[in-house]
Amino acid sequence: MKLRLLYFLVFAPICLFSQVTFVKDTIQTQGDSVVVTATRSERKLSNVTVPVTIINAQSIQQIGALRLTDILKEQPGLSMTSGFGAGVQLQGLNPDYTIILINGEPLVGRTAGVLDLNRIALGNIKKIEIVKGPSSSLYGSEAMAGVINIITDATTKTPLQSSLRYGTYNTIDAGLNNTLASKFIFYQGYYNYYSTDGYSIRPSSASRVTTPIKRIATNQQFKYNLTNNTNLLVGLRFTNEQIKNELSVTNGGLTINSNGEEKNTDYNIASSLNHRFSNSLKTSFRSYITQYNATQNLLTISGAPYTDILDHVFNRLENQTDWVVNKKLTAIVGGGAVMEGVKSSRYDSEKIRKTNTNQYAFSQWEWIPNSKLILIGGIRFDQNQTYASAWSPKASMLYKINKKNRIRLSVGQGFKAPDFRQLYLNFTNAAAGSYSVFGTAQAQKVIGQLNSLGQIGTLYNNFYQLKSLQPEYATGTHVTWEFEPNAKNNFSFQLFRNDIRNLIEVQQVGAYITGAQIYSYLNIGRAFTTGFEFEAKHQLTKQFSISAAYQYLETGDKDQLAQIKNGTVYTRDANGLSRKLNVSEYVGLPNNSKHKAQLKFNYSNQNGLFGNIRALYRSKWAVNNTNGNEVFDDGDSFAEGYIALHLSIGKDYMNGLGFQFGCDNMLNYIDALNLPNLPGRTFFATLKIQKSK
Amino acid sequence: MRQILKPFLLLLTLSNILFSCTKDETTVALSVTAITVNNLPADTVLGINTTTGMPFSAGKYTFFSLERNAIVPNTDSASTQWDLAFASNKILTNGGTSGKGLGGAFVYVGLFDDLKSIPSDSVFKTDNAPASFAVTFGSGKGWYVYDQLTSLITPLAGRVLVIRTASGKFAKVEIINYYKGGVTLPITASDSDKLSKQRYYTFRYAYQPNGSKTF
Repeated sequence: MKLRLLYFLVFAPICLFSQVTFVKDTIQTQGDSVVVTATRSERKLSNVTVPVTIINAQSIQQIGALRLTDILKEQPGLSMTSGFGAGVQLQGLNPDYTIILINGEPLVGRTAGVLDLNRIALGNIKKIEIVKGPSSSLYGSEAMAGVINIITDATTKTPLQSSLRYGTYNTIDAGLNNTLASKFIFYQGYYNYYSTDGYSIRPSSASRVTTPIKRIATNQQFKYNLTNNTNLLVGLRFTNEQIKNELSVTNGGLTINSNGEEKNTDYNIASSLNHRFSNSLKTSFRSYITQYNATQNLLTISGAPYTDILDHVFNRLENQTDWVVNKKLTAIVGGGAVMEGVKSSRYDSEKIRKTNTNQYAFSQWEWIPNSKLILIGGIRFDQNQTYASAWSPKASMLYKINKKNRIRLSVGQGFKAPDFRQLYLNFTNAAAGSYSVFGTAQAQKVIGQLNSLGQIGTLYNNFYQLKSLQPEYATGTHVTWEFEPNAKNNFSFQLFRNDIRNLIEVQQVGAYITGAQIYSYLNIGRAFTTGFEFEAKHQLTKQFSISAAYQYLETGDKDQLAQIKNGTVYTRDANGLSRKLNVSEYVGLPNNSKHKAQLKFNYSNQNGLFGNIRALYRSKWAVNNTNGNEVFDDGDSFAEGYIALHLSIGKDYMNGLGFQFGCDNMLNYIDALNLPNLPGRTFFATLKIQKSK
Repeated sequence: MRQILKPFLLLLTLSNILFSCTKDETTVALSVTAITVNNLPADTVLGINTTTGMPFSAGKYTFFSLERNAIVPNTDSASTQWDLAFASNKILTNGGTSGKGLGGAFVYVGLFDDLKSIPSDSVFKTDNAPASFAVTFGSGKGWYVYDQLTSLITPLAGRVLVIRTASGKFAKVEIINYYKGGVTLPITASDSDKLSKQRYYTFRYAYQPNGSKTF
């Protein structure tokens, strides 16, 4: 491993290159940000038809965010989940349904559908773009709730930048950023080291909620201008995590310890060859290779060693051509092919890689009939080896009513392809009742074989309904009204609704003769998420600003709602006697808070002094169906609502020196059961040195 | 048309009156009252085995007669004196592999009060240890759910255990709670409380002594 890392560190800067934006395309804007994710081409934020949030490097730095999780948890409309690493929930949709891109290329390596966002260091990020609403018309599978695109900084003017941070629980973060540029060649290298001792917030437990972690990350970007109109970009990213697992289970005074190590490595190489034929026509060929490997080794004192491997490769070739037809009409046409494969201990053999190929084509047309209106229509077709093909249309518009008011409207369909686990899982949990889960690609065959061996006790009706899985689909509608009465104030109000169908759910399809359950996956669920978001920003003085945001969210499983209306779902009254559940008691999907709000005060002056205080509120959310009636209602367990209060102050000096001090979770809010990723009050101090310009 | 219908209508009305009369009368005659049983111990936890770390108990069932609303001594376990036997989350009926009686049961999904008569197409199961039991055993399958995270057992709402007693009579049972005092412990309760206070049944039942399937 170390050798491989060394190889990357030494050779990568020499032979590899990066960044996926056009050199000449940089739109000159004054105070108006540029967005690439919304249309796969650079657009001014004020001309984008879909709802987009931009988080810039300055706000990442000023709150002292280290990992992607740190910044996303403070965005309106997003919340973090804590099973299988830190995932992000967008407008009530689970982490599975948001695609995470780095410079436009997807990150892979999801466990149970969750991509751990702690894997991503923020040191050399230029900005993060968040597009809300189905975006499969451009990005294909997973872009069902939205897109989060992390754009690395390839245009930094600072040649050398370094930072060192120390915080509670012996948390160390060190970063180094280096840039070299000549007329034809541009190089940027970023290195990050992070380690923490982890913490335990359960008083009676010796095991730590967050275990000791060491992370190394590097990002190398290289750009070579072949001619004035052609360039070659190569980006290389590598991360390595080592997580120490120490589990200790105490039962009646007897403690069973098991310990081990988890190693996760992740690299990606993105290269693109870009050529501009004329001012109205350009094309880009991209190749992307990525691999994620997670190996977990556990050793218990009494018991066999346990190894769990997940290895995911994803290779893609793609072309995108942008054509400016005339002043009013712009088109994007593209297509590509993906070869993907996964090896896992939880499949029938960890040595055989399960593979899948996918071809796709997309097109998007942007029409600007007059200065007030922009209309965009797009469609993408994905054809697949292992599941049914999918069409993803989307239409959106921006209407500038006047200088102060804008309306954005978008309607689109997104999809998520069945993942490898849903197709190939072959897992029997010996530790918990010996139940089995079989992916649909093999379920009928494997269960059939078990049946002929006389091991199957019962087969349910839905066993016979098992067939190749369909993608999950969502139709999303977003309407946003933006009001900017003057330079000091702006408001936005958004209504959203997502209707999801074909949800893939784990279902019991039979039982062994021992009674142990057998599960597989079926396309059965129908759900919705709907609500509104309100954001306001007020500039009090040149230095001082206040921003506030609120989200109201309602979610629900449509089939469960129908059952409740039919009177076939029960709960208990105050005396413990059964009664029918009322629709008003239904709370919808778990892990969703109805109310989320935030209030931020921000100060920053010309002398480099800055400070901010952020209050984030989340109302109660359902965590566990305690009463067993299969729906989440008032009678179930909830995590209590809470406020997290964070503070950060710092000063950047003209000579390149900078200091920052922060305190996260000042109110020391702890909920060990439901918020394992929220330690109590923590402090940090950062020193930055950058070579003056 | 109308002329043909008339006698029919008359007949219908008549039969309606007749039927409702008999129905009313039988309901009055057969009306059974629900009885609530509190804190019935069911092989309660005695302590924790220091080598295995597992809780242990006496391993004995509590036998109960629905007819007499009383606990039956363990010495009468081989008789038809008892209708239900409780040990931790297992409930046996007096029949099949469990006893000499005519006992059997099935789990009805619905409300206790709404179950006025046992549907004629109902199938009573009998105990066939260890493969299957009349009162289905296991989380989410019969009368309770077990939460692995909190280690708590919660009786499912809207489940009625329809019982055929040792003597072949019928009863309906709703399990209300599994913890001492009839109150499910909070998830934050200590492990020792969760162990020592479990296996105390609170349930209500209606027993029909006349052998009919109506309550």
